[in-house]
Amino acid sequence: MSTTTAMETHTGTAEHHELSFIRKYIFSTDHKMIAKQFLFGGLMFLALGGALAVMIRWQLGFPGRPLPMPLRILFPDTMAPGGIILPEFYNSLVTMHATFMVFFALMPLMAGVFGNLLIPLQIGAEDMAFPRINMASFWIMPVAGFIMLASFFVEGGAAGAGWTSYAPLSTSGEWTGVYMGQILWLVSLIILGFSSILGALNYVSTVINMRAPGMTWFRIPLATWSIFITAWLLLLAIPILTGGLLLLLFDQTIGTAFFRPEGSGEPLLWQHIFWFFGHPEVYILIVPAMGFVSEVIACRSRKPIFGYHSMVVAMVSIGFLGWVVWGHHMFQSGMNPLLGMTFVVTTVVIAVPSAIKTFNWMGTLWRGNIHFDTPLLHAVAFVALFIIGGLSGIFMASAPVDIYIHDTYFIVAHLHYVLVGGSLFGIFAGITFWYPKMFGRMMNEGLGKVHFALSFLFYNMAFFPMHNLGVQGMMRRIYDPNQYEFLQGLQPLNTFISISIFCFAATQILFAFNFLWSLRAGKVAGNNPWKSNTLLWTTPSPPPHGNFPEMPTVYRGPYEYSHPDREEDYWPQDEPPATTGSGGETVTTPTPELVPGG
Amino acid sequence: MEEQEEHADPPYILIWIVLLVLTLAEVGMSLYMNVPKFWLGLGLILMAVWKAVLVAMYYMHLRYEPARLWILAISPLPLAFILVLAVISEF
Amino acid sequence: MSDAAVTTMDRKPMPGMMVYNKKLGMWVFLLSEVMFFTSLIGTYVILRFAHPDHWTDPGVVLNVPLTAVNTFLLICSSVTMVKAFASIQQGNQKGLQMWLLATILIGATFVGVQAIEYNALLGEGFGPVLDLYHAVGRGNPHEGPSLGGPLYGATFYAMTGFHGAHVTIGVLCLIFVYIRSLRGAYTQDSLEGVEVIGLYWHFVDLVWILLFTIVYLI
Repeated sequence: MSTTTAMETHTGTAEHHELSFIRKYIFSTDHKMIAKQFLFGGLMFLALGGALAVMIRWQLGFPGRPLPMPLRILFPDTMAPGGIILPEFYNSLVTMHATFMVFFALMPLMAGVFGNLLIPLQIGAEDMAFPRINMASFWIMPVAGFIMLASFFVEGGAAGAGWTSYAPLSTSGEWTGVYMGQILWLVSLIILGFSSILGALNYVSTVINMRAPGMTWFRIPLATWSIFITAWLLLLAIPILTGGLLLLLFDQTIGTAFFRPEGSGEPLLWQHIFWFFGHPEVYILIVPAMGFVSEVIACRSRKPIFGYHSMVVAMVSIGFLGWVVWGHHMFQSGMNPLLGMTFVVTTVVIAVPSAIKTFNWMGTLWRGNIHFDTPLLHAVAFVALFIIGGLSGIFMASAPVDIYIHDTYFIVAHLHYVLVGGSLFGIFAGITFWYPKMFGRMMNEGLGKVHFALSFLFYNMAFFPMHNLGVQGMMRRIYDPNQYEFLQGLQPLNTFISISIFCFAATQILFAFNFLWSLRAGKVAGNNPWKSNTLLWTTPSPPPHGNFPEMPTVYRGPYEYSHPDREEDYWPQDEPPATTGSGGETVTTPTPELVPGG
Repeated sequence: MEEQEEHADPPYILIWIVLLVLTLAEVGMSLYMNVPKFWLGLGLILMAVWKAVLVAMYYMHLRYEPARLWILAISPLPLAFILVLAVISEF
Repeated sequence: MSDAAVTTMDRKPMPGMMVYNKKLGMWVFLLSEVMFFTSLIGTYVILRFAHPDHWTDPGVVLNVPLTAVNTFLLICSSVTMVKAFASIQQGNQKGLQMWLLATILIGATFVGVQAIEYNALLGEGFGPVLDLYHAVGRGNPHEGPSLGGPLYGATFYAMTGFHGAHVTIGVLCLIFVYIRSLRGAYTQDSLEGVEVIGLYWHFVDLVWILLFTIVYLI
């Protein structure tokens, strides 16, 4: 009796009925179109998050000065009278910058875009396991996004209790001045959670059940592995957040006291619930980038990834260990010190698999035939900047050191090194590498390199000095550091950082231009412009509906670059070991790995 | 699309009776027996877990599914324990 | 599996979980539900540990006998669900429809009884809201002292309320499956839809088995 559904063989796109514009572009169930939808949405929200950051830096760099025209007229008197940002609005800015970046930019770009694009194509499937659920998973995002955006326009403005929304600051508008905005923030994220959960269950099911014959677990490309692990984190962490958000919503609206001390509620419980989700969340934001970087570095170095198995084991370890480190966000909360000590140990341990990965990337590059194109540059920048972010993490892992640096700009420096230096550069690597497959054209190399160089320069100019600011005592989320005499000397550094951020933001226009211009005017990409091995690159660019004319068969792992037995420096996964049958059909003699049950 | 089902029908009614008996035992223990809180809690939790496992194994068919499926099914449980036990240590 | 050559037309995906996609998908979804209830039940356990004085002995405020019967009903609905699936496994359309309907009716009854129970509890002053909490307990005059504390109410309604919402959604999905069964959508070879809604329904029952014990009996 068969155990799985055989894939119907598609003999090309001619058989498919023509879909209406709405079914093809708006309500599509095709994973590649959904990936593009997430890309469009994610990049829009990335730009919004960036704009909010620019506003924050305006206040910190030029405190109390009115925003320049034309920005000045955009903001009502409740936010920035005369163009001068109000402290309450500043609180909303820092909250919403992080909220949009984490939930509406990075998560859709990491999991939504690349999960959808890469998984079916890299494992040899025609689409996701549940295409209609996939479509629903996308469309939930704009609904949640609309609610989050709307919160700017209600009385009291948008949420202002930080993206971490600690109780009791968040349970009542008494101190932030925000009432409805805080409620809308919760409602938006509760709704968005369903998008993540539905997406995650699709990814997990597809990778488990829909791999082409011969695609054993240890022949799966690292990008798919990384998203598979991320999907597990999403699946199990997001529901915890959802539960907590609902309880906080009840505290705010109907007057329960889960977290309100006046009713014997426990504010610390909120922190535990939030960070139990929040720590796996940060791994959700970085692990896919690790996968993209592995693909790009191996391909562009023309070398097998150094230590493929250990790369997988390291990512799985990060996935496991990520569940038991959450308390390191709470060292200064008044938590049980013995519990805190446990978290110090686990946090230091989790640095090990990340370090293993870093050494493996370097081992891959070592003596490789490196092609220094834009994806590779972004990937190498990821490694370098992730190292810096990881090293600052070691300091923070020590609870006594954290007494000094918690809630300072040292933390802000760390998180931006891993999320921008890491995740964002990883996303740039992914976009520049897979753009040809998505859109059938290459992005412009020259412009790509200029964008990379300027981004890298301005990024470090902006964020490295923040380590310094933090150690000198400048705290996070502060509207006016000059109110403290000991911080007044830091103003020039803050202004320098702000200007660097403005330059960094302006540089992204180059990327946007390159992206849009190349859609029409980029060099036509063939099937495999990067000469990569994965099944994804065996398809046309862009791939047709159904991806593969018939289900591929996999004979080897994805990193057989520069193999000594080969003339070419790459060896696609689906290239048979050279046997042709008498009838002309490709005859494959099952190797042990191909026999089901393995 | 079924997987291998070369087994007799699970004893659905027998399981139902066991569930009923356990429920009555639980209610009895809680309302009508004078047991110290700790043993009460332990006993009740054990019975509840027993019932849950029966439902999972027989009604949700896990007993007859490939082993990898029930391993998948229990995977979130350690996380649940970690969260609750760690935070209880705060109080 | 013979070791003769396999032509391209015979190829199937890797065995994976060795169950069909929809079943795997439902199990994976249920794992996320386990984590969701973990956050609610975990909150209850933690708050009760921190403030045990907010809770009373079992049966003082909550109606244990009524809920025990309700628990029994929900367990019965799991049996009817299982019978429904067994029916369609044998190609018995009428059996499928009959047992599905029974499951729906029992499920709806469960929700109804819960609603009645909520109404009674709120009338006795046992609610989730901090400022309104004044639970006098079963059969006591309204002017009596307040038993337990607001955390008891808040956690009770959070856990049982979200569970009830899941039961309601389950009933709606069962109605959908029932209507499809009337149109002959399910056969011996095509019964995935019945099996996966069955899995969801048993899960809801399983959660209740745990909830009933820890909320009502401890």
